[in-house]
Amino acid sequence: MLGSTIINRRQHVGLQKLSALAGITHSSLGPHKKYKFIQDDRSGESALVCSCFRILENLELTCAVGQLVYQTIQVHQKVYHTGSGCLLFLAGAWSRVALECLQRGISVAHIISAMSEGLDICFDVCRKFNISTEGFGAEQSQSSKVTSQDLGLQVSKKLTMEGSQAWTGLKGNTRDALKTLNACGQKKIRLSRHFCEAKSENISNELEEHQPKHPDIKYISERLSHGCVDAMNLVFEASRTQSNSIQQDTSCPTFDITKVMTCVLPGLPEEQACVTPGCILLLSAEQASVAHHLKDQLLKVVLINGDLSFNYSHLGFKRPTGIQRVSEETALSSSSKEEDWMEKVVMLLLNLEVDLILVSGLVSEKVIQRCSRHHILALEKVNVSVLKGLADASGAVPVTYATQLSKHCVGAGVKVAIWRDLSSYERKPSIAVNISTGVNSKLVTVVLTSCIEGKLQALEDQFWACAYRLHLALKEKALLPGAGVTEMLCIHHLQKQAERDSSQQTKEAAVANPYRSVVLHLMADGLIDYLSTVMVNTGKFSKVQAWTAVSQQLQACNQSPGVLSKFSELFLEAEKEGRAMSLPVKSPDAPSTNVFDNLSVKQEAWRKASDLVFLVLQTDAEVITGIDQKTEAAQGNLTLL
Amino acid sequence: MSRFVKKSPSICTDRPLDNTDVCTKLRLLKQLLRSCFGPTGRLKHVHNNIGGHVVTTSTSSVLLTAATSSQPLINLIKSSILHHVSRFSDCGLFAAVLCLSLIEEAKQCGLRRNVNKHLLGVCTAYLQQEDCGCKVPLDFCSSQDLITLSRSVVSSKPACVLTEAEALHISRLAVRAFLLTVPCNSPGTVTLGRIVSVGVEGHPVLNSEVFPGLLVEMHDVFCLKTAENLRSEPLRVVLFSASLAGDLSELGDGIIQVHPGVDTDSQILDQLLELCERVIEDGVKLFVCQKVIHPVLQQYLRRHGVIVMERVGISLMEPLALLTGALPVATLHTTIPAKAYGTVKEVSVKEFGSKTMLHLEPSGESAICTMILCHRNETMLSELKVVCQQTEHVLRLTLREPSALLGGGCTETHLAAYIRHKSMEEVTEKASALGCSQTEYLLGVEGFCRSLESVAAALHHDGGNSLIDLTHAHHWTLPADAMTENMEDSSGLCCGCGLVKSGPKVDMKWTHLNTEHPQFSPAAVLKDRPVQPHVLDSFTAKINALQVAVETANLVLDVRFVIQDTN
Repeated sequence: MLGSTIINRRQHVGLQKLSALAGITHSSLGPHKKYKFIQDDRSGESALVCSCFRILENLELTCAVGQLVYQTIQVHQKVYHTGSGCLLFLAGAWSRVALECLQRGISVAHIISAMSEGLDICFDVCRKFNISTEGFGAEQSQSSKVTSQDLGLQVSKKLTMEGSQAWTGLKGNTRDALKTLNACGQKKIRLSRHFCEAKSENISNELEEHQPKHPDIKYISERLSHGCVDAMNLVFEASRTQSNSIQQDTSCPTFDITKVMTCVLPGLPEEQACVTPGCILLLSAEQASVAHHLKDQLLKVVLINGDLSFNYSHLGFKRPTGIQRVSEETALSSSSKEEDWMEKVVMLLLNLEVDLILVSGLVSEKVIQRCSRHHILALEKVNVSVLKGLADASGAVPVTYATQLSKHCVGAGVKVAIWRDLSSYERKPSIAVNISTGVNSKLVTVVLTSCIEGKLQALEDQFWACAYRLHLALKEKALLPGAGVTEMLCIHHLQKQAERDSSQQTKEAAVANPYRSVVLHLMADGLIDYLSTVMVNTGKFSKVQAWTAVSQQLQACNQSPGVLSKFSELFLEAEKEGRAMSLPVKSPDAPSTNVFDNLSVKQEAWRKASDLVFLVLQTDAEVITGIDQKTEAAQGNLTLL
Repeated sequence: MSRFVKKSPSICTDRPLDNTDVCTKLRLLKQLLRSCFGPTGRLKHVHNNIGGHVVTTSTSSVLLTAATSSQPLINLIKSSILHHVSRFSDCGLFAAVLCLSLIEEAKQCGLRRNVNKHLLGVCTAYLQQEDCGCKVPLDFCSSQDLITLSRSVVSSKPACVLTEAEALHISRLAVRAFLLTVPCNSPGTVTLGRIVSVGVEGHPVLNSEVFPGLLVEMHDVFCLKTAENLRSEPLRVVLFSASLAGDLSELGDGIIQVHPGVDTDSQILDQLLELCERVIEDGVKLFVCQKVIHPVLQQYLRRHGVIVMERVGISLMEPLALLTGALPVATLHTTIPAKAYGTVKEVSVKEFGSKTMLHLEPSGESAICTMILCHRNETMLSELKVVCQQTEHVLRLTLREPSALLGGGCTETHLAAYIRHKSMEEVTEKASALGCSQTEYLLGVEGFCRSLESVAAALHHDGGNSLIDLTHAHHWTLPADAMTENMEDSSGLCCGCGLVKSGPKVDMKWTHLNTEHPQFSPAAVLKDRPVQPHVLDSFTAKINALQVAVETANLVLDVRFVIQDTN
């Protein structure tokens, strides 16, 4: 059976749901996130969450819009690890824009075309105002004050650059302008497409005189922390450890995120979080003595991708069920067969002089015991990417069964060090060891600690968010001005375009889309809502105050564009104070006067937010299959086919 | 065995179309499908009643598969449309909306004898004519027409949520992929190749690409070690469809009795190793298996410099066989004949998002290509996949009949105008031939033409007005909120398909659809016009959809009784 609900056109239920869903996550927006408890009334279980993605993950969303939202956020999180809050907030804000438009009687087609144009305006802003990271902060880090002014100058300069007249005006003093900009480090401005090749040649000529400068990772990372200073410090440490461990070549510094792993240790205070080269694994007390025996030697290692136990068989292997054993004598019991297998494996390991076995799956208790007796350390649940890294570094060839091992599978040059004795923190005694291959391995472990076990996931999420921000910044070699400046520019441009539309009502424009001005204005309001919510989350503003502050800045910006940099100061002032309050340990004079955002993260989040709005806006009915006509036909809002 | 419940008698409905319940349901189905029609159509969330997976779509194939009804008439319509879609992929919604409109029209005028079948003949005869005014011959010398055609299909599905640039990119890719499946210099009967599409979630649409050859995902990160030192010389390939997992999967429920000292596993493994040894002796460098390969075999093969690919799945087996020329080996018990081996020219590693893939390039001509489709979320990606398959099919149909019909509703309005004119000309002889009065005949014609026009009007979903010009009978749209009341006042507009433009120099009259206007013979737009149509529909799919719609409607109108067994 099939039923369908026709949604009231003017009060689009789907858009209302989208807006309501987005409302749940308002408090997790911006650098000042608040924790939330999500409690399951039936089981009594609860979860402590602080990011938009984790909130949605813990809610059981069964409705169509809920599924759509979760699906989108999940993919975004998987690829970018950051920006989900912004995505959902804007999906909510823009769904209210669409609702408002519907109420004013604007057709769906017009809403969609105008909102797409609005989005294009925002992307244009991103294209114009993104900042190349080349040589970024190479010399700036000494005086952060200069940089903040510098950025202000740059942004304002760019604002005035708009329009083609500006270009001709600028052409004359390009060199001067660039010189002032480049005075303290070759900050290359990536210009809009109107500024063609000739310009970039100019810059490259000037750059040739200097040694090519690589972006200062410290400088960038500090400005991408977005309030997670501790997490970002760990990311910076991790990247430094990576560059130290490989021979520095002259190529641009990257941050190989695939070689970073996290290890969470509950029970230790948060300040003890740290970064170590190599891989940290936890051991039981029985194996501790073996580890002590092996420490600080160059070891022979084998890698097993699977379980190390008698009963294990590879994926896709089916144990035959129809086998009967016919025999005159008493058959060997399975335990003695296991004994045979064990004997064979141990002999093999001893012959190959193996000291260390790293297994991606589980290791049976018996194997661990037997190996320990022969001073062989068998470690289970090792991440597959770690196995891959160690295989590359040590020359070991991963196998599935221990019986497959032969001489060429054995890797050499691996070290085991006792990293820490955790006996005093854990209920049962255990130690943590560090497995490393010495030089030329980028493998880095970040140890995250907290006295509160429920907080560990949030800390891990924050770490990965920061790690991906830095990784993406280095990959894309471009950043956007952060702390709301990009959004302010977008609002400014949206409003300007809207005013242009309403003032010069040309006939063609009217035929194309008479409502563009209305929609653009509303979209800009959505972004203002975003900024003011972030400001409210700092705890320094009320919603009204925040809204007023933003609109005052916008007015000032309309009069003289240079003022925009002041806005970021206002924004950051609040943030700095807020941070000083929440983390009294940190010195308040940390050099964090300006902030950047990732280019692709922001653009993708905006695009995906508009995708959600468009999908939901265009949906006018739900088709439900498998409805029992007798029982459910009574429900008034269903029409049966 | 005795019955506990008495068998209830069957229910017989006389003249089902007079039944209000049936009518409501037909109207609902029409409303549901009509609202999905065209590039600005509305979407539907399709899911089951226990909160299962939600599909957001406007494609007829997905919607109609989900729709099951208690009304046999509805199921009849549904299955004939689905059958059309399975054969032609395109114009499913067109057929459904036309069919339901025809039923409604015929019911309203209450004609006993309908002239639809005759008019269908007039339509098809006209469409097959050389000088048909709504047909465009496709120019295979340039890709422009093909791109326009594929773009019309791609942009007709709003659930893909594509920007202009993205839609163009995908249309171009679809055409490129289609061209790659046409073999260039094989004599004799030409067999088209295959397009294998791979979806990558969470990445920008513009990252989508088409590659000649096959891209096969690597499941195991450790496989890459051998794949990294790839050579660009031709490699010999063996393709197994049998499992090489080393188990006794062929045993089924049977029982075998073995001596306790015998280790069956290792004996099977030994046999497999022997097989591999022979394969290596035969010079194979790429070893592909549909199912699992025992890790010991994998290790053995890799040590001998062979690239191993396991678990490629059944869907890739046919393209792999076509690409490499290998015959899939289904048994492990005989020696592999030399002709079962295939070759590939080159193997390389490509990465897309989180997917690592091995790119196999054919050594000869194979007409196999892989389309990597990227989109921002799962819902939109799955719709995009459906759309790309449709496009592929539509492009293939052009090889059978190298023409296209004007899109954007222009074919429908043009056909309606033509039929009105044509049947007025020969009303006397046709009416007597069909055995009905002239009034009845004209009523039937009017119903048929109104149905066609209502399909064109179904392209609007925001309350726009449909108009036709009185020269070419093309379809024009006047938005509901347009500043001007008349088309004459607004300049620079163009018709649905983009072939005719309005302007001060053009002398044209317009009228609203469904208003009285003098019938006229619609003129064909001059063939050597510089303007190219913006929207094109598949000729073969549409002509078949027209037939399916009319014949299904006739069948439904002819149903006198519905007998339902309620047990």
